Amino acid sequence: MVAGRLKRVAAVAANTFRETVRERVLYNLVFFAILMTLSGLLLGELSIRQDEKIIKNLGLASMDIFGTLIAVFIGVGLVSKEIERRSLYPLLAKPLSREEFLLGKFVGLGFTLLVNVGVMTVGLYLTLVATGRGIDWSLLKAIYAILLSLLLTVALALLFSTMTSSTLAAVFTVCTVVAGRFSDVVRNMRDVSQAVPEWLVRLVYLVVPNFLNFDIKDHVIYGDPIGGGLLARLTIYAASYAFVVLGLAMLRFRSRDLT
Amino acid sequence: MSGLPHPVPVETSHLTKAFPAGFLGRRRVAALNDLSLEVRPGEAFGYLGPNGSGKTTTLKILMGLVSPDSGAARILGKPIADPSWRHRVGYLPEHPYFYDYLSPAEYLDYVGRLFGLPASVRRERSQRLIGLVGLERSSHVPMRRFSKGMSQRVGLAQALMNEPELVILDEPMSGLDPIGRRLVRDIILDLKAQGRTILFSTHILPDAETLCDRVGLLRSGRLLKVGRLDEILTQDARVEVLLSGGDAAVFASPALGVRSSQQIGERRRLEVEEKSLMPVLQAATASGARILSVTHVRESLEDYFFRQMGESAPDSSWLPGD
Repeated sequence: MVAGRLKRVAAVAANTFRETVRERVLYNLVFFAILMTLSGLLLGELSIRQDEKIIKNLGLASMDIFGTLIAVFIGVGLVSKEIERRSLYPLLAKPLSREEFLLGKFVGLGFTLLVNVGVMTVGLYLTLVATGRGIDWSLLKAIYAILLSLLLTVALALLFSTMTSSTLAAVFTVCTVVAGRFSDVVRNMRDVSQAVPEWLVRLVYLVVPNFLNFDIKDHVIYGDPIGGGLLARLTIYAASYAFVVLGLAMLRFRSRDLT
Repeated sequence: MSGLPHPVPVETSHLTKAFPAGFLGRRRVAALNDLSLEVRPGEAFGYLGPNGSGKTTTLKILMGLVSPDSGAARILGKPIADPSWRHRVGYLPEHPYFYDYLSPAEYLDYVGRLFGLPASVRRERSQRLIGLVGLERSSHVPMRRFSKGMSQRVGLAQALMNEPELVILDEPMSGLDPIGRRLVRDIILDLKAQGRTILFSTHILPDAETLCDRVGLLRSGRLLKVGRLDEILTQDARVEVLLSGGDAAVFASPALGVRSSQQIGERRRLEVEEKSLMPVLQAATASGARILSVTHVRESLEDYFFRQMGESAPDSSWLPGD
């Protein structure tokens, strides 16, 4: 029973991975990410004694930005496009539950992002080695945090994808991610404008995941100690949030008429 | 297949479904109204009706894609919410679309994995089914290059991947050329010969007439009639009379019982109720016409359907023989 479920989730995940690696948008984004990483070389030449930090900063930032773009723009189409094109209909008539389908989609795109971040990580280390800098393994801590935030973004994209069209899902996901990345601004919103109701500020701050928590790039680059406890807390935070968001997506998707 | 399936393959009881319409979906448009239907083991059941009559909605409810507002349905004796029947049923949706980045062989392998089939069985079945639907030369071509008819063939192959007891096909002839239609007809007849149950919706009445043991006629979400074709179609027997010469005005009298009168070149074709045959022949002879032939014509399903639809002109969405 459980083995059957896992096999079906794995089948959907494998197909989703195949689908995403055949998407042209993925290659465009990876190309720009590599370009941005390599531009660190040029900027590094222009800066005095800051070249290594710039290379690391640009490398991690490109992983973060382009990973988020991939998570949003491929993620929002994972379910809504299947409904719009009706490719989902024959699959759901098979022994595949809607929950297994959603989970498979999440795992599939998550794996694509893992591979993508892995390729960019290799690119960043090669850039550092090629320019005579040593390998800084602490960068992996920041990369791990980026990967967690990307998985959470995929879960949000999937939730919106089960509710509406891919265009509206993209708008909602981008808004949520932006609000989460500026959660400090959201929290202090009333300092800027009293017109915004306090309950609204509190609601947005509490509901939207705090993506700032995952941004430990500067700490790693400037050599601040990052303990295992912080990474564990980030993992629990991302896993709990993703669990709730995917649960909501499953609830919504279960009751949706596929007309 | 070993032995006939015993449980009732498809059973619906008072199914009702309405969809939201209009601004903010406040209005509800009825798609199905109190639909009770039974498909018997081993039969080919044709589900007929014009566009918007509720055929696809019924099949989607059976497949769990749409929830009914009220009523219940059972597949192979199990409630539709029970997933255990899904291993034993094949389904082809209307206007199917498959992942265009996959080839038919890759897609069938994916479908086989969802059924939990081992790799060797998946390989053997996908090769056999690709051959059955005539796509051997395109088995490794990405489906983005496929015509509508080729996608329809892939759709039929995926519906048979689990060797189902019950096959549910939504407009299986849609988008097919005459060769494709013949192929699908042969496959359905072959499935029937193997003792499998087939429920299919169609617009194409001649195909339904060739394939179905029984039909259900649906209009505006209501089931008008269910029955065997021979039961339905002999209820209104007609006679065709071919004449030459004579006075055409004679046949215009409604009292004579001539249903239609057409001039075809030198000849005139009359369609006459069986009970009115003798008066019509006498009137024709009296007007100087020569009777060329008198043929008993069984009503076609198409004629029957239009009569059931209220003797009105065919719905613009109705495509007999399409």
